[in-house]
Amino acid sequence: MKYETTYSKLADFGKELLSKTSLEEGLPMIAKYAKGVIGADRCSIFINDPKKNELWTTLADGIEKIVIPSDKGIVGYTIKARKPIIANDAYSNPNFLSDIDKQTGYVTENIVTAPVFNSKRDIIGVLQLLNKEDGFDNEDVKFMIFFAHYISGFLELVNLYKADEKK
Amino acid sequence: MKKINQVAEFGKKLMALSDMEQIIELIGQEAKELCNADRCSIFIVDKEDNMLWTRLSDGIGRIVISIDSGIVGDTYQKKQPQMVNKPYDDARFLPNIDKKSGYTTKNILTVPIFDSKREVIGVIQLLNKFRDDFNQEDLETLTFFSNYVSGSIELVLLNDKNKS
Repeated sequence: MKYETTYSKLADFGKELLSKTSLEEGLPMIAKYAKGVIGADRCSIFINDPKKNELWTTLADGIEKIVIPSDKGIVGYTIKARKPIIANDAYSNPNFLSDIDKQTGYVTENIVTAPVFNSKRDIIGVLQLLNKEDGFDNEDVKFMIFFAHYISGFLELVNLYKADEKK
Repeated sequence: MKKINQVAEFGKKLMALSDMEQIIELIGQEAKELCNADRCSIFIVDKEDNMLWTRLSDGIGRIVISIDSGIVGDTYQKKQPQMVNKPYDDARFLPNIDKKSGYTTKNILTVPIFDSKREVIGVIQLLNKFRDDFNQEDLETLTFFSNYVSGSIELVLLNDKNKS
Protein backbone atom coordinates (compact mmCIF):
# COMPACT_ATOMS: atom_id res chain seq x y z
CA MET A 1 0.00 0.00 0.00
CA LYS A 2 1.50 3.26 -1.23
CA TYR A 3 0.35 5.41 1.68
CA GLU A 4 0.95 2.96 4.52
CA THR A 5 3.76 4.91 6.21
CA THR A 6 1.81 8.12 5.70
CA TYR A 7 -1.10 6.75 7.70
CA SER A 8 1.20 5.70 10.50
CA LYS A 9 2.56 9.25 10.76
CA LEU A 10 -0.62 11.19 10.09
CA ALA A 11 -1.41 11.68 13.76
CA ASP A 12 1.66 13.93 14.03
CA PHE A 13 0.17 16.18 11.40
CA GLY A 14 -3.21 16.06 13.17
CA LYS A 15 -1.56 17.11 16.39
CA GLU A 16 -0.09 20.20 14.80
CA LEU A 17 -3.29 21.03 12.91
CA LEU A 18 -5.48 20.87 15.99
CA SER A 19 -3.27 23.40 17.74
CA LYS A 20 -4.53 25.98 15.22
CA THR A 21 -7.79 27.78 15.74
CA SER A 22 -8.26 29.69 12.50
CA LEU A 23 -8.59 28.94 8.80
CA GLU A 24 -5.76 31.37 8.09
CA GLU A 25 -3.38 29.20 10.08
CA GLY A 26 -4.91 25.83 9.31
CA LEU A 27 -5.42 26.03 5.55
CA PRO A 28 -1.75 26.56 4.61
CA MET A 29 -0.80 23.63 6.83
CA ILE A 30 -3.36 21.34 5.21
CA ALA A 31 -2.34 22.44 1.73
CA LYS A 32 1.36 22.00 2.35
CA TYR A 33 0.85 18.57 3.85
CA ALA A 34 -1.46 17.26 1.11
CA LYS A 35 0.84 18.56 -1.59
CA GLY A 36 3.90 16.96 -0.03
CA VAL A 37 2.33 13.58 0.62
CA ILE A 38 0.71 13.19 -2.78
CA GLY A 39 3.54 14.83 -4.67
CA ALA A 40 1.56 17.55 -6.43
CA ASP A 41 2.78 20.98 -7.40
CA ARG A 42 -0.06 22.98 -5.86
CA CYS A 43 -2.89 22.57 -3.42
CA SER A 44 -5.88 24.77 -2.69
CA ILE A 45 -8.64 24.30 -0.19
CA PHE A 46 -11.81 25.95 -1.35
CA ILE A 47 -14.29 26.94 1.32
CA ASN A 48 -17.95 26.71 0.37
CA ASP A 49 -20.07 29.76 1.13
CA PRO A 50 -23.60 28.53 0.39
CA LYS A 51 -25.18 31.92 1.19
CA LYS A 52 -23.22 33.62 -1.56
CA ASN A 53 -23.05 30.54 -3.79
CA GLU A 54 -19.32 31.05 -3.89
CA LEU A 55 -16.20 29.09 -3.24
CA TRP A 56 -13.19 30.96 -2.00
CA THR A 57 -9.69 30.08 -1.05
CA THR A 58 -7.32 32.11 1.07
CA LEU A 59 -4.30 30.57 -0.48
CA ALA A 60 -3.44 28.89 -3.66
CA ASP A 61 0.28 28.66 -3.17
CA GLY A 62 1.34 32.02 -4.38
CA ILE A 63 -1.83 32.97 -6.19
CA GLU A 64 -3.97 35.60 -4.49
CA LYS A 65 -7.44 34.94 -3.17
CA ILE A 66 -9.62 33.21 -5.69
CA VAL A 67 -13.41 33.37 -5.61
CA ILE A 68 -15.45 31.27 -8.00
CA PRO A 69 -19.18 30.63 -8.34
CA SER A 70 -19.95 27.38 -6.55
CA ASP A 71 -21.24 25.72 -9.72
CA LYS A 72 -18.20 26.50 -11.84
CA GLY A 73 -15.10 24.59 -12.68
CA ILE A 74 -14.01 21.15 -11.62
CA VAL A 75 -14.25 22.29 -8.00
CA GLY A 76 -17.89 23.33 -8.54
CA TYR A 77 -18.56 20.06 -10.29
CA THR A 78 -17.14 18.23 -7.25
CA ILE A 79 -19.87 19.85 -5.15
CA LYS A 80 -22.54 18.85 -7.60
CA ALA A 81 -21.29 15.29 -7.96
CA ARG A 82 -20.52 15.06 -4.20
CA LYS A 83 -17.49 12.88 -4.97
CA PRO A 84 -13.82 13.19 -5.92
CA ILE A 85 -12.97 14.09 -9.50
CA ILE A 86 -9.78 13.17 -11.38
CA ALA A 87 -8.95 15.08 -14.54
CA ASN A 88 -5.60 13.96 -15.86
CA ASP A 89 -5.97 16.11 -18.96
CA ALA A 90 -7.46 19.28 -17.51
CA TYR A 91 -7.94 21.14 -20.79
CA SER A 92 -10.03 18.36 -22.28
CA ASN A 93 -12.39 18.35 -19.30
CA PRO A 94 -15.57 20.33 -20.12
CA ASN A 95 -15.83 21.60 -16.53
CA PHE A 96 -12.31 23.01 -16.42
CA LEU A 97 -12.07 26.83 -16.08
CA SER A 98 -9.08 27.91 -18.12
CA ASP A 99 -9.65 31.57 -17.14
CA ILE A 100 -7.77 31.13 -13.87
CA ASP A 101 -4.72 29.81 -15.72
CA LYS A 102 -4.96 32.82 -18.04
CA GLN A 103 -5.08 35.19 -15.07
CA THR A 104 -2.20 33.61 -13.24
CA GLY A 105 -0.02 32.37 -16.02
CA TYR A 106 0.07 28.92 -14.43
CA VAL A 107 -0.53 25.95 -16.69
CA THR A 108 -2.75 23.29 -15.15
CA GLU A 109 -2.06 19.86 -16.53
CA ASN A 110 -3.93 17.58 -14.18
CA ILE A 111 -6.30 17.98 -11.25
CA VAL A 112 -7.71 15.89 -8.45
CA THR A 113 -10.40 17.09 -6.05
CA ALA A 114 -12.23 15.73 -3.03
CA PRO A 115 -15.25 17.19 -1.21
CA VAL A 116 -15.02 17.90 2.52
CA PHE A 117 -18.25 17.07 4.37
CA ASN A 118 -19.36 18.31 7.79
CA SER A 119 -21.27 16.26 10.34
CA LYS A 120 -24.57 17.17 8.68
CA ARG A 121 -23.25 15.88 5.38
CA ASP A 122 -23.15 19.35 3.81
CA ILE A 123 -20.11 20.07 1.68
CA ILE A 124 -18.09 22.72 3.49
CA GLY A 125 -15.10 22.73 1.20
CA VAL A 126 -13.18 21.09 -1.61
CA LEU A 127 -9.56 19.97 -1.61
CA GLN A 128 -7.85 20.48 -4.92
CA LEU A 129 -4.42 19.35 -6.03
CA LEU A 130 -2.78 20.40 -9.26
CA ASN A 131 -0.03 18.98 -11.45
CA LYS A 132 1.41 15.71 -10.40
CA GLU A 133 4.04 14.29 -12.68
CA ASP A 134 2.49 11.35 -14.57
CA GLY A 135 -0.99 12.31 -13.30
CA PHE A 136 -3.11 11.20 -10.35
CA ASP A 137 -4.19 7.62 -9.71
CA ASN A 138 -6.80 5.81 -7.62
CA GLU A 139 -4.47 5.42 -4.65
CA ASP A 140 -4.11 9.21 -4.57
CA VAL A 141 -7.88 9.59 -4.64
CA LYS A 142 -8.31 7.08 -1.83
CA PHE A 143 -5.88 9.02 0.28
CA MET A 144 -7.63 12.30 -0.59
CA ILE A 145 -10.98 10.86 0.57
CA PHE A 146 -9.44 9.73 3.82
CA PHE A 147 -7.59 13.00 4.32
CA ALA A 148 -10.63 15.17 3.50
CA HIS A 149 -12.57 13.28 6.16
CA TYR A 150 -9.68 13.52 8.61
CA ILE A 151 -9.49 17.30 8.41
CA SER A 152 -13.27 17.84 8.18
CA GLY A 153 -13.68 17.97 11.96
CA PHE A 154 -11.11 20.75 12.14
CA LEU A 155 -12.76 22.76 9.35
CA GLU A 156 -16.23 22.34 10.86
CA LEU A 157 -15.01 23.40 14.30
CA VAL A 158 -13.26 26.47 12.89
CA ASN A 159 -16.44 27.37 10.99
CA LEU A 160 -18.38 27.12 14.24
CA TYR A 161 -15.87 29.51 15.83
CA LYS A 162 -16.41 32.00 13.03
CA ALA A 163 -20.20 31.71 13.19
CA ASP A 164 -20.00 32.23 16.93
CA GLU A 165 -17.82 35.34 16.63
CA LYS A 166 -20.38 36.98 14.36
CA LYS A 167 -23.13 36.61 16.96
CA MET B 1 -18.68 29.36 22.74
CA LYS B 2 -17.78 27.35 25.80
CA LYS B 3 -18.46 24.06 24.04
CA ILE B 4 -16.42 25.02 20.99
CA ASN B 5 -13.41 25.94 23.12
CA GLN B 6 -13.86 22.76 25.06
CA VAL B 7 -13.79 20.65 21.90
CA ALA B 8 -10.69 22.48 20.62
CA GLU B 9 -8.89 21.76 23.89
CA PHE B 10 -10.03 18.17 23.71
CA GLY B 11 -8.74 17.92 20.10
CA LYS B 12 -5.24 18.83 21.21
CA LYS B 13 -5.29 16.23 23.96
CA LEU B 14 -6.68 13.59 21.61
CA MET B 15 -3.89 14.10 19.10
CA ALA B 16 -1.25 13.60 21.76
CA LEU B 17 -2.40 9.99 22.17
CA SER B 18 -1.60 7.10 19.91
CA ASP B 19 -2.95 4.20 21.90
CA MET B 20 -6.45 3.03 20.94
CA GLU B 21 -7.57 2.37 24.49
CA GLN B 22 -6.50 5.82 25.67
CA ILE B 23 -8.05 7.52 22.66
CA ILE B 24 -11.37 5.77 23.17
CA GLU B 25 -11.34 6.56 26.87
CA LEU B 26 -10.71 10.26 26.25
CA ILE B 27 -13.45 10.39 23.59
CA GLY B 28 -15.91 8.75 25.97
CA GLN B 29 -15.05 11.14 28.75
CA GLU B 30 -15.49 14.17 26.51
CA ALA B 31 -18.80 12.91 25.05
CA LYS B 32 -20.20 12.52 28.56
CA GLU B 33 -19.13 16.01 29.55
CA LEU B 34 -20.51 17.63 26.41
CA CYS B 35 -23.98 16.19 26.98
CA ASN B 36 -23.98 15.79 30.78
CA ALA B 37 -24.47 12.06 30.64
CA ASP B 38 -23.63 9.52 33.28
CA ARG B 39 -22.10 6.84 31.08
CA CYS B 40 -20.63 6.39 27.66
CA SER B 41 -19.94 3.26 25.66
CA ILE B 42 -18.20 3.21 22.32
CA PHE B 43 -19.05 0.25 20.12
CA ILE B 44 -16.80 -0.75 17.23
CA VAL B 45 -18.23 -2.65 14.28
CA ASP B 46 -16.80 -6.08 13.57
CA LYS B 47 -18.02 -6.88 10.08
CA GLU B 48 -16.46 -10.31 9.88
CA ASP B 49 -18.40 -11.60 12.83
CA ASN B 50 -21.39 -9.25 12.45
CA MET B 51 -20.93 -8.00 15.96
CA LEU B 52 -20.66 -4.72 17.76
CA TRP B 53 -18.35 -4.77 20.72
CA THR B 54 -17.36 -2.13 23.20
CA ARG B 55 -13.91 -0.68 23.24
CA LEU B 56 -15.12 1.44 26.09
CA SER B 57 -17.78 0.31 28.50
CA ASP B 58 -17.95 2.60 31.41
CA GLY B 59 -18.32 0.78 34.69
CA ILE B 60 -19.12 -2.65 33.33
CA GLY B 61 -17.23 -5.32 31.46
CA ARG B 62 -16.97 -5.68 27.74
CA ILE B 63 -20.28 -5.88 25.91
CA VAL B 64 -20.70 -7.75 22.65
CA ILE B 65 -23.98 -7.57 20.78
CA SER B 66 -25.12 -8.77 17.41
CA ILE B 67 -24.99 -6.11 14.73
CA ASP B 68 -28.78 -5.85 14.45
CA SER B 69 -29.81 -5.93 18.07
CA GLY B 70 -30.64 -3.21 20.53
CA ILE B 71 -30.76 0.51 19.99
CA VAL B 72 -27.06 0.48 19.14
CA GLY B 73 -27.65 -2.16 16.45
CA ASP B 74 -30.50 -0.07 15.07
CA THR B 75 -28.21 2.97 14.94
CA TYR B 76 -25.82 0.91 12.84
CA GLN B 77 -28.57 -0.38 10.53
CA LYS B 78 -30.32 2.97 10.04
CA LYS B 79 -27.10 5.00 10.00
CA GLN B 80 -28.98 7.58 12.07
CA PRO B 81 -28.76 8.86 15.64
CA GLN B 82 -31.35 7.47 18.05
CA MET B 83 -32.73 9.35 21.03
CA VAL B 84 -34.72 7.17 23.39
CA ASN B 85 -35.96 8.84 26.53
CA LYS B 86 -38.09 5.91 27.68
CA PRO B 87 -35.99 2.85 26.89
CA TYR B 88 -38.18 0.40 28.83
CA ASP B 89 -41.06 1.31 26.51
CA ASP B 90 -38.90 0.75 23.43
CA ALA B 91 -39.07 -2.70 21.86
CA ARG B 92 -35.47 -2.43 20.63
CA PHE B 93 -34.04 -1.88 24.11
CA LEU B 94 -32.11 -4.81 25.63
CA PRO B 95 -33.03 -4.87 29.34
CA ASN B 96 -30.79 -7.90 29.92
CA ILE B 97 -27.69 -5.71 29.97
CA ASP B 98 -29.21 -3.68 32.83
CA LYS B 99 -30.13 -6.91 34.61
CA LYS B 100 -26.58 -8.19 34.37
CA SER B 101 -24.91 -4.96 35.39
CA GLY B 102 -27.43 -3.77 37.96
CA TYR B 103 -27.47 -0.37 36.29
CA THR B 104 -30.82 1.27 35.46
CA THR B 105 -30.93 2.91 32.05
CA LYS B 106 -33.26 5.90 32.05
CA ASN B 107 -32.50 7.40 28.70
CA ILE B 108 -30.20 6.76 25.74
CA LEU B 109 -28.62 8.79 22.99
CA THR B 110 -26.66 7.09 20.21
CA VAL B 111 -24.88 8.36 17.09
CA PRO B 112 -23.11 6.44 14.34
CA ILE B 113 -19.40 7.00 13.68
CA PHE B 114 -18.75 7.12 9.94
CA ASP B 115 -15.46 6.53 8.19
CA SER B 116 -14.33 8.41 5.09
CA LYS B 117 -16.19 5.94 2.85
CA ARG B 118 -19.40 6.71 4.71
CA GLU B 119 -19.51 3.29 6.31
CA VAL B 120 -20.49 3.02 9.95
CA ILE B 121 -17.41 1.91 11.91
CA GLY B 122 -18.83 2.41 15.36
CA VAL B 123 -21.52 3.84 17.59
CA ILE B 124 -21.22 6.28 20.49
CA GLN B 125 -23.83 5.60 23.16
CA LEU B 126 -24.61 7.89 26.08
CA LEU B 127 -26.74 6.80 28.99
CA ASN B 128 -28.65 8.74 31.64
CA LYS B 129 -28.44 12.46 31.22
CA PHE B 130 -28.21 14.13 34.62
CA ARG B 131 -31.58 15.30 35.94
CA ASP B 132 -33.09 15.50 32.48
CA ASP B 133 -33.89 13.80 29.19
CA PHE B 134 -31.69 14.04 26.11
CA ASN B 135 -32.77 16.79 23.73
CA GLN B 136 -32.21 17.96 20.17
CA GLU B 137 -29.19 20.04 21.16
CA ASP B 138 -27.49 17.00 22.69
CA LEU B 139 -28.19 15.10 19.49
CA GLU B 140 -26.62 17.83 17.36
CA THR B 141 -23.64 18.17 19.67
CA LEU B 142 -22.98 14.45 19.67
CA THR B 143 -23.41 14.25 15.86
CA PHE B 144 -20.82 16.99 15.46
CA PHE B 145 -18.56 15.34 18.00
CA SER B 146 -18.80 11.94 16.33
CA ASN B 147 -17.66 13.45 13.04
CA TYR B 148 -14.91 15.36 14.82
CA VAL B 149 -13.40 12.20 16.28
CA SER B 150 -14.18 9.86 13.39
CA GLY B 151 -10.97 10.65 11.50
CA SER B 152 -8.88 9.71 14.51
CA ILE B 153 -10.80 6.49 15.08
CA GLU B 154 -10.56 5.53 11.42
CA LEU B 155 -6.82 6.22 11.49
CA VAL B 156 -6.24 4.10 14.58
CA LEU B 157 -8.27 1.20 13.19
CA LEU B 158 -6.42 1.44 9.89
CA ASN B 159 -3.01 1.45 11.56
CA ASP B 160 -4.05 -1.51 13.73
CA LYS B 161 -5.02 -3.39 10.58
CA ASN B 162 -1.77 -2.54 8.82
CA LYS B 163 0.22 -3.75 11.81
CA SER B 164 -1.43 -7.15 11.94
